Amino acid sequence: MKKLKIGMISFAHGHAFSYFNSLHALPEVEVTGIADSVPSRVENLVRAHQLSYYEDYRQLLDTDIDAVVICSENVYHAEITIEAARRGKHVLCEKPLGITKESMEAMIAACQDNNVQLMTAFPCRYLAAVIQAKKAVERGEIGDIIAIKGTNRGGFPGGWFVDPKLSGGGALLDHTVHVMDLMNWFIGSDVKEVYAYAAPLFQENIAVEDAGMIHVKFASGVFGVLDTSWSRNGTFPTWGDVTMEIVGTKGVISVDGFAQKNELYSKANGKGTWEFWGDNMDAYMIQDFVDALRSGTPVPITGEDGLRSAYVALAGYQSLQQGQPVQI
Amino acid sequence: MKVAVLGCGGLGRIHASIYAGMRDVELTGVCDIQQDLADDAARKTGAVAYSSFEEMLEQAEFDVISIALPSYLHKEYTMLAAKAGKHVISEKPIALTLEDAEQMIRCCEENGVRLFVGHVVRFFPDYVNMKQALDEGKLGRACVAHASRIGGHPGATKAWYNEVEQSGGVMVDLMIHDLDFLRWSLGEVKTVYGLNRREELLDYALVTLQFESGAVANVEANWGFPGQFQTKAEIAGSEGIVMANSLKSSSLQIHKAPSTSEASTFVTVPESPGFQSPYELELLHFIDCIRTGSESIVTARDAYKALELAVAAIESARTGQAIHLPLVQR
Repeated sequence: MKKLKIGMISFAHGHAFSYFNSLHALPEVEVTGIADSVPSRVENLVRAHQLSYYEDYRQLLDTDIDAVVICSENVYHAEITIEAARRGKHVLCEKPLGITKESMEAMIAACQDNNVQLMTAFPCRYLAAVIQAKKAVERGEIGDIIAIKGTNRGGFPGGWFVDPKLSGGGALLDHTVHVMDLMNWFIGSDVKEVYAYAAPLFQENIAVEDAGMIHVKFASGVFGVLDTSWSRNGTFPTWGDVTMEIVGTKGVISVDGFAQKNELYSKANGKGTWEFWGDNMDAYMIQDFVDALRSGTPVPITGEDGLRSAYVALAGYQSLQQGQPVQI
Repeated sequence: MKVAVLGCGGLGRIHASIYAGMRDVELTGVCDIQQDLADDAARKTGAVAYSSFEEMLEQAEFDVISIALPSYLHKEYTMLAAKAGKHVISEKPIALTLEDAEQMIRCCEENGVRLFVGHVVRFFPDYVNMKQALDEGKLGRACVAHASRIGGHPGATKAWYNEVEQSGGVMVDLMIHDLDFLRWSLGEVKTVYGLNRREELLDYALVTLQFESGAVANVEANWGFPGQFQTKAEIAGSEGIVMANSLKSSSLQIHKAPSTSEASTFVTVPESPGFQSPYELELLHFIDCIRTGSESIVTARDAYKALELAVAAIESARTGQAIHLPLVQR
């Protein structure tokens, strides 16, 4: 079987480097080229791996690649995905899938119309603890889920993340989607109501919120809350967290996705740090994407999944304006 | 100073034994309608046992009474004691409704007695330490906070906890500790949003507070957690983060090999011992306030405001709407 040829479009989002490493490690994959309008972001990588470089992503799409991985600023996800679909390239798109419901629907439609697959990058589905928790729920170990309290906190990302013209939103959009996707996945019911609070609290003089607390009610009656804040400062021993308290009628499951860590106290770091030694979730997600394309089976996490989670965050902004829950 | 204790359940016994060990305090009476509970407390403390409050009021000499009765009885007995000229130390919650709480506060004022409510978390050293970090500026502006308090359902052993009309449920009885702590630390609350699910021996709530400062906090409480009682809290600010976790601060763990008679599982009992329990620190403080006439770390009005948060959370869970404070104009 011939190798799957993949191009990478934009390294604006730093996750691109991890995705590249995961792709590069797969013998069945050839990363043929990188497109990025900012050459400095990728020049080391291009040189080290002797890749083709394109300033304009359309030039990369003109080559004989099978698929692209898109890690651009959020606002460009739709345009690039639709362009890739038109040229028959499968897409793995960084989260959040898009910044409006309409643009995400257009992305999904374009991929459908052109018979290519669209996958949303939700690597948290590939945390071993998350997978085991889901199996435990399915075995009925905690009865029926009644609520989930989640956190997905991180440091202040700066750069384009805090420019609403490029990001489409702050911490609420950036950090709702991962755990929201897990909640959707676990609960298997539609969110029908959203109540959110968000504000610029930690940093001064920023144009987007850096604190977010979003609440959801599912059609099944399950409710949830999620802290999406960029609340971790530089002295914190790690970048942030992904946690879920899954509360059932017969028990509670606590997931702390990055608890597999050692404590390191090195003068070189100037502070104590947590060194994560668990499995690399990105690598497992990339493997699943590649397997689906090679076998012609549906990708495990779809564009619809990406839309579903991002739409909750978008409804959160509506709720914020109204100061009350909104129905979706 | 002479003290009596009304209600000899778990907390009443704790109050009684603390008073019995206090210098310059004399425990003169312990009272419970269950005579055996009163007798047991009397045996351990040397106080006189009573099975009727009226009888204790007539026969025992005391200046202060600790009321550790089921919550729905707090108002009635606080007002009886106040009218008899006794200072009152009531367990939390102050009452189950704001109207009752207001009447209790007024009644104590009118009768010239002090009213204290046992919001003991203000005396837990880990929580005091968090507030200190904030007050000392180490956290900068408080931005996002969390608090969690989870354990088994008390209704499994004491039926009155199962009746919302008697206990108020998990938000009024358990979460109120964190609601008070957060208001103490982060200031007045602007809006309250609550989510709650209640079933037999399960009462789970998530409540989000938006503070006038702009800060936000999410509070979790669970009656029905199948594990050891545990508390967690965090305040993340513009300059720092402080986190407390009762499970991670057990300074003593006793691991026991299985006894031959029991099922062969190992037993581990984690503890966090101190020379003075938070309850002891609390009662010493209240007694000192009565002696010196000084303001308490937690006032009756604070207890009213904590109840207001819990009542607003229940109202929000019921209506699905965010509730703006204050609930009723004083």
